[in-house]
Amino acid sequence: MNPVDFWAAILMGLAGSGHCIAMCGGLAGAMGVQQSKPRILLYNVGRISSYMLAGALVGSAFFGLAQLQPQLFIWMRIFAGVMMLLLAAYLLRITAALLWLERIGAILWRRLKPLTRKYNRNGKSHHVYLAGMLWGWLPCGLVYSALSWAALTASPTSGALFMLLFGLGTLPSMLFLGMVSHTLVSLLKSTKFRWFSSAILATYGVATITIGLMQLR
Amino acid sequence: MNKEQACFHCFQPIPKGVDITVEVFGEAQPMCCYGCQAVAETIVDQGLTHFYKYREVDDSQGPALIPEELAGLDEAVTAYDDAEIQKEFVLTQNDHSSASLAVEGMTCAACAWLIERQLGNHAGIEKVVVNATTDRVHVTWAAGKTKLSSILKAIHQIGYKALPFQQADLEEQYERKRRSYIRRLGVAGIASMQTMMVAVGLYYDDIDATTRLYFWWVSLLFSAPVFVYSCQPFFQNAWRAIRSKSLNMDVPVSLAIIFAFFASFYATVTDTGDVYYECVTMFAFFLLSGRYLELLARQKAITNAANLMKLIPAIAEKQTAEGWQKVMVKHLVPDDVIQIRPGEAIPVDGVLLSQQAWCDEAQLTGESRPIAKRTGETIYAGSVNQENPLRMRVTHTHQNTLLAGIIHLQDDALGQKPRVVQLADHISKYFVLATLIIASATYLGWYFIAPEKALWTVLAVLVATCPCALSLAAPTAMSGAVSRLNQSGILLKQANVLQALPGITTVCFDKTGTLTHGRFHILEAWHQETSEQSRHEAIAAALEFSSEHPIAQPFRRLAKPVDLNEVENTPGLGVEGRVDNTLYRIGSLAFVQQWHPQLSSPMPQANVFLATEQGLIACWRVDDELRDDATTMLQWCKKKGFHTIMLTGDTQERALAVAESLALDEVHSALKPDDKLAILRKQQHQGPVIMVGDGINDAPVLAQADASITFASGSELAQSGSDVVILNGELTAIRRLFDTAKKARLVIRQNFAWALGYNGIILPLAVMGYVGPLWAMLGMSTSSLIVISNSLRLLRKQAY
Repeated sequence: MNPVDFWAAILMGLAGSGHCIAMCGGLAGAMGVQQSKPRILLYNVGRISSYMLAGALVGSAFFGLAQLQPQLFIWMRIFAGVMMLLLAAYLLRITAALLWLERIGAILWRRLKPLTRKYNRNGKSHHVYLAGMLWGWLPCGLVYSALSWAALTASPTSGALFMLLFGLGTLPSMLFLGMVSHTLVSLLKSTKFRWFSSAILATYGVATITIGLMQLR
Repeated sequence: MNKEQACFHCFQPIPKGVDITVEVFGEAQPMCCYGCQAVAETIVDQGLTHFYKYREVDDSQGPALIPEELAGLDEAVTAYDDAEIQKEFVLTQNDHSSASLAVEGMTCAACAWLIERQLGNHAGIEKVVVNATTDRVHVTWAAGKTKLSSILKAIHQIGYKALPFQQADLEEQYERKRRSYIRRLGVAGIASMQTMMVAVGLYYDDIDATTRLYFWWVSLLFSAPVFVYSCQPFFQNAWRAIRSKSLNMDVPVSLAIIFAFFASFYATVTDTGDVYYECVTMFAFFLLSGRYLELLARQKAITNAANLMKLIPAIAEKQTAEGWQKVMVKHLVPDDVIQIRPGEAIPVDGVLLSQQAWCDEAQLTGESRPIAKRTGETIYAGSVNQENPLRMRVTHTHQNTLLAGIIHLQDDALGQKPRVVQLADHISKYFVLATLIIASATYLGWYFIAPEKALWTVLAVLVATCPCALSLAAPTAMSGAVSRLNQSGILLKQANVLQALPGITTVCFDKTGTLTHGRFHILEAWHQETSEQSRHEAIAAALEFSSEHPIAQPFRRLAKPVDLNEVENTPGLGVEGRVDNTLYRIGSLAFVQQWHPQLSSPMPQANVFLATEQGLIACWRVDDELRDDATTMLQWCKKKGFHTIMLTGDTQERALAVAESLALDEVHSALKPDDKLAILRKQQHQGPVIMVGDGINDAPVLAQADASITFASGSELAQSGSDVVILNGELTAIRRLFDTAKKARLVIRQNFAWALGYNGIILPLAVMGYVGPLWAMLGMSTSSLIVISNSLRLLRKQAY
């Protein structure tokens, strides 16, 4: 995996911070913020494990596909670039572009949801981990665009690594939620921050598409 | 944000064409995406909907969802005009309202002055006291002529953020300020290390031109964030001062930084001359360290005062028709009945209804032993119920409790500018002006002698003479001393007293309640007609109920009082009143002698006499015990060479008995308040006098004295006219007061001597070009640090 992708992964995670806090922060609050720090960490490790699993899955799928059809790889790169652009738009809530993906995810989630009752965050340690893993499958446009990049690596290990880095990018906002000041939270959720991170993501997307188009020629 | 367009869960706008809902609170709530839908469903499934309820309350207060901070602030400010909300922090007396405001962004005395001036011009404002040490503004305004919100807006207009003082706010502000300083310090620290390293490399002459230029560019890269980010507070302050047509020490500081940076920048771009990037970064670093330390010192000084309020719980159990109900403390009103569980703090002042209770009043008096309270006795907010649940009737709430009074007084004392601080402010303003003039003159001079050195010499002059140390000298020492005293149960009402104390030559003591406990017992009684004893006692009890003198206390417990008319209280003498058409007098011998000039006491040591216009009918001997530490205190006075005087309204025999056991130098007995005043005035011809007495009976004497101390507990605290109130009931606290005042004076003198001496020596050297900017900067920083750490010594615990 080249270092540019490495940064892309972390950046996607970080850029999504505001989104993560808005969406999942409330849940953390609802489920009791008084969790000990190791447990919060364990929970998040579970979440990232799921991401890695998903990354490995799409990675190996595209590993197979790339064997059959090398040209597909370039198209995949363009697709990932488009996903990045859509993500930028998604974070800005300009379009519902990634919503169709989430809808597919939501079907999967409905099957997993009953399990969340079984493993809640207040149980034994391994339950906390499992609850975190389940949380990783929550329908989320952010995760899906990261997965499109993981697919691009066309290798199970790199795919998992990419998703690990993405997960690490989201970690600070989720882990320190409640510890960070209101100022920081409102900064992350502010329109300015969203525009800023979206602009960077869009630039990445455009660059990726350009490279893909040049390879096609 | 319009709720209809925003996601119910995450409050983000819902993109067009999305129609997802989740049923929460029996209503279909809009969601922006499937993720939110999933989360919301999970929350509902797990029965956690209370989160949404709780959160909604939170949203209306917290800024989290309103990124446009200012818009929220404006709205918040208007809300402060609400009478219900004002109850929390505004004190209103006869159309005059006053409140403490916490102000963000004040960094120095000049800021305080600016705010004072801005508010002074505002219509309807009667008094403004700005305290730069605690970042608070105490403002008094005519209710009806202006509104609190417009006062707050007026402060916003000049670039400071102000909100009515509430504890949590202030602490959060400090924390934010501290963090921002740490970040700026961090940037400046890293950059100065890098630039210093490069600078060391540049000292070698054999460096080739290309490498040198490369080094310059590297230094520029590191200095730029320092200039843009770390130095901001200085620029902002300087700009504020200039905008208000004033000067402060940040003006020369900013000038120096701007000159040094741009000159170096120019040198780098054109590849000519010298660069001083390491100066910029290190100057910023040292100045910020100084400010940071000052911030810590201030924080220390206010935590003590602020901690008092923390103890007060927000919820109380109130008796209602449906039984005990939990209510907000702010909704309690006088005459409510509340219940306090053991271990809980009492939220308001009130009267005990339960039989007995043990209260720990350490927060108020420093006395750590629990105090026994009986039915009908007053219980104060801030004390802690020790044993059984207690019931009480509320008498005072909010700003009117004793605790709030104490905090108010502490704030006021920290807010006053003692003469010495005013002087320092004044001096440093002129000092800055002088510095700027000298700097310009220096530039002109060097421009003709050696133009290439002119800029760097001026830089050195500006940096070296920064009057930081001068402006810190007195305020840091004063707030250190005030806070130190507060911690040991000594409440300063007038900060000026610290300056007056070291000059004192004479100490006057009141006897009753000062040298003695003021707890009286009846030891002997004499009755004209022994059969009439119980009637005499009932009359005495009735009369003494209208006396405030502590000697009246035991009579009130003696018998059930009879009905009384035409009561007249003559302070210092006694009480007169009519019972069943007979006029009675109770009081001193002199008081009764006004009716019967020939009367002599039938009992040698009697001191309370009851008489009719026909003759004496009864007399009593009532006595009091000495305070445990009275002997120690008087011995100390003797050792220090104070002239000690006792001024008492009591009889000569009894006064002499006490005076002899304590070895006082002078005793004046059987005095009326006027006599006390006359003696004190006479004594003042020989030197400054301190009066130690009782807050109410001695009020005029206390006011006349150069410094005055009272022992106060309870409601008289706020009214007593003294400069210092001793809360812990120890006479030896006076010793600590003197010691602290002496130390504070010493520290202030040391600070001034250092600051003036240093600036005086360095200025000519800098003008002549002997001091480079780097050394000037090191010297200036060290000078400020010395002053601050010297003042911080006052805060340290002293052994007694």
